[in-house]
Amino acid sequence: MPEESILSDDFIRELMNVGEVDILVAVPSYNDGQTIGKVVQALRAGLLTYFPRARSVIINADGGSRDGTQDLVRAASISDLSVSGDVHALRTLHSISTQYEGGPASGIALHTIVAAADLLQAKACAVVSPESTTIEPEWLDRLLRPVFEGKDVVLPVYRRHKFDGLLIRNLVYPITRALYASKIREPYPVDFAFSGSTATQFLAQSVWAQEEGRRGTELWLTLWAVVSRLKLVQAFLGTKARLENPRSDLVNAMRETAGILFCSMDCYSSFWRSPQETLEAPCLGCQPAVSLEPLRLNRKRLHQMFVFGISELEPVFLSILSSATHNELKRLAALPEETFDYPAELWARTVYEFSAAYHKAVIGRDHIVQALVPLFRGRAYTFLTETREASAEDVENNIESLCRTFEGEKPYLVEIWDERK
Amino acid sequence: MAQQDSLWYKDAIIYQVHVRAFYDSGGDGNGDFRGLAQKLDYLQDLGISALWLMPFFPSPLRDDGYDISDYRSVNPTYGNLDDFKMFLEAAHRRGIRVIIEMVLNHTSDQHPWFQESRSSRDNPRRDWYVWSDTDTKYRGTRIIFLDTELSNWGWDPVSKQYYWHRFFSHQPDLNYDNPQVREEMWSVMKFWLEMGVDAFRLDAVPYLVEREGTNCENIPETHAVMKELRARLDAEFSGRMLLAEANQWPADLRAYFADGDEFHMAFHFPLMPRMFMALKLEDRKPVTEILKQTPAIPDVCQWCLFLRNHDELTLEMVTDMERDYMYDEYAKDKAMRLNLGIRRRLAPLLDNDRRRIELMNGMLMSFPGTPIIYYGDEIGMGDNVNLGDRNGVRTPMQWDGGWNGGFSTADPEALYSPLMLNPVYGYQAINVQSQKRFDHSLLSWMKRLIRIRKASAVFGRGSIEFLYPANHRVLAYVRKLGNETILIVNNLSSAAQAVELDLSTYRGNILIEMFGRNIFPRIGGLPYLLTLGPYQFYWFRLRRV
Repeated sequence: MPEESILSDDFIRELMNVGEVDILVAVPSYNDGQTIGKVVQALRAGLLTYFPRARSVIINADGGSRDGTQDLVRAASISDLSVSGDVHALRTLHSISTQYEGGPASGIALHTIVAAADLLQAKACAVVSPESTTIEPEWLDRLLRPVFEGKDVVLPVYRRHKFDGLLIRNLVYPITRALYASKIREPYPVDFAFSGSTATQFLAQSVWAQEEGRRGTELWLTLWAVVSRLKLVQAFLGTKARLENPRSDLVNAMRETAGILFCSMDCYSSFWRSPQETLEAPCLGCQPAVSLEPLRLNRKRLHQMFVFGISELEPVFLSILSSATHNELKRLAALPEETFDYPAELWARTVYEFSAAYHKAVIGRDHIVQALVPLFRGRAYTFLTETREASAEDVENNIESLCRTFEGEKPYLVEIWDERK
Repeated sequence: MAQQDSLWYKDAIIYQVHVRAFYDSGGDGNGDFRGLAQKLDYLQDLGISALWLMPFFPSPLRDDGYDISDYRSVNPTYGNLDDFKMFLEAAHRRGIRVIIEMVLNHTSDQHPWFQESRSSRDNPRRDWYVWSDTDTKYRGTRIIFLDTELSNWGWDPVSKQYYWHRFFSHQPDLNYDNPQVREEMWSVMKFWLEMGVDAFRLDAVPYLVEREGTNCENIPETHAVMKELRARLDAEFSGRMLLAEANQWPADLRAYFADGDEFHMAFHFPLMPRMFMALKLEDRKPVTEILKQTPAIPDVCQWCLFLRNHDELTLEMVTDMERDYMYDEYAKDKAMRLNLGIRRRLAPLLDNDRRRIELMNGMLMSFPGTPIIYYGDEIGMGDNVNLGDRNGVRTPMQWDGGWNGGFSTADPEALYSPLMLNPVYGYQAINVQSQKRFDHSLLSWMKRLIRIRKASAVFGRGSIEFLYPANHRVLAYVRKLGNETILIVNNLSSAAQAVELDLSTYRGNILIEMFGRNIFPRIGGLPYLLTLGPYQFYWFRLRRV
């Protein structure tokens, strides 16, 4: 059984003490001491306010923190020994922490969480990021209530700054929508929920032994849920905190997104190549999802890195891209910054050609994914330029237009997928 | 009865019974003292050591006898004073003490005192009750019987004033600011004490005295009245006992023990609903929390513990959230709810689940305090929520499967209350005679439980220390008295549980399970691992060999 290798004896002993639960709330972490305390307090308040009768547990799957992260989680327990004066709870609320092996990796954390959910026979599980400092207790209600009403997976929708989530908006969302026929705004969630049976089914997948079971696993879970035609719903959570210093660099982020998407396309090719009915994933409580506060970004650097990449990675691009696409990119790189424009059609074709190259493994797959980074920077430059003065509605229209382009270019993907080169 | 041990109440097992409901010797459909006397052998065999009798005084019976119209007599339906004396002597011969009710707070409106008091404003007994020209005094006082009463003031059309009543409007409160009332009520108590009664269960004690600007509960003047009564009791009747009925939080209850010079015992009301809550939640927290909040009491005092009694399962001493939970889990049918409580018996509350009934009784008998068994619960009798008020838990005792369940030879239509007839709880299914025949019946099991409890003074007099194992479904504690140590482990869950107990303090001891007397492994340096089946509990005697 998978959980035998992932759960330590000490953790199993703690789970034994928790016993069967209705709700499992999990917080993966790694050195999140500065923020996790607030998040866990909100989770505790959410459980006590919205699910006072439920048998609940908060589980922290930690990647080896050395900043007291785990102690902050454990302090949230409510028992007959540790009771906060301001809290009145019907039941014991266990708040436990475990360190998994293998270093910090969100996939291993998720593996730990779904294995624990399966062992505890949780009816509903929520995973919340320790960096979600804008969390309100109500988030738990929004994430978990649909599960108790029969949904399998609940994915978040946030109000994000128009310049935030560029990778999601320009790559992950358009591909997911074009290939898997699902309008899921946050396919790679950090705050989400799923049913106990979903946890059990996902635990049985073979993903855990592979790279996608180590990073980007949340995206894999979404894609698996879409392909499995599980009952999905989206829940509006409010404003997403913008990370000033994102932990993951763009190369790693690309591995976790494009890498997983390309891999899934291999795995689920029979699914996405056949006509699909759009998977409904209604958004509960949705509100305008774009905020417009002034924000300075260094677009010039993005352009420079695109130009540098085109020049430096030419041999790689020759293996990956069609000559037409490659030539067009070279032409773009030669343009002065003021006139630079990486159009949606070309970006869609670029991404599809990368995915086909990944499928055929024309060179090392990780190299393919890494090579997409400078090109994405070019596309991001264009997106920022196009939306610099845009209203929220304009930004939405821009994203919608990009998605349509990816959908329109899908036959091109099908065409090149089976080509020899 | 010989008074060898003045602390007898600390070791007692009390059985609560209504004379009317137990056994009818006269064939008129009502239980009586002669009938009760005939069943003393049964009670002795059960193992109980004290009987608490509900009110048996003359009464219009509009509140099941808590509306007394004569304090110095016996309701003729139950017999007469000679019958009572005969019963009392018979009980004492069997080593069973007798606790009777004393309703100090109020009388029936049919009591001659009230009839005189209301007859005119000039009557000498006018001041025996609390009268007012307005119904606005003592506004901070809650109404207890919310389902029936709109005010604590009743209008008397005869004398054209309002009278004070904390309970039903036909139960006017006596005025304890009047020394004559205090003297008269002591005189009443003395009447019964001289006859040989061992103790009083004093009803509704927090409400004796009223003061403006207070909630008229637990006020110092009320405590002063009780201390005066206690001093007189000790002076003239050493070894007798006073038991307080005060449905209050532990901190407020503590005052009724004072320095060991007010009440000997008091009911621990908040514990009872939390035992049911803990069982349903499968979580020990409600129980350990309330016991942690329970203050220490003088050595000569004792808590009185119960699972069920003649009233509704009161939910006054719980939070709103807890009350909602209790209603949803134990009284889904609204007919089961009454006032702020649930009018059901033990067995139906626990879905007639033998394991849960045993576990709850096991906890009752092992918590620090004196346990009370409500008549019929030792055989798992059911209730009838279709009867009004709390009468559904006061149906006739079920002795056998024959005519009227062996309770009475009267026509069934003449019984004071319908018998339980349904196939699950009816007298043909649940009765003493059938359960006597089997060693594994609930009755036989209760006898065994009582016998084991009585074999050790630890349960009644020992200290308690909770162990708090990480598994919250397991409630474990150690009771200690002198050299004797008993470990109790309860599984509150419907599923089997494993638990690790930190028994390092007792390293080297072996455990002897008290029901089967089997030896369990010696306590070593590691946490002591136990597995328990659903709702299973263990009582272990710790022995260093």
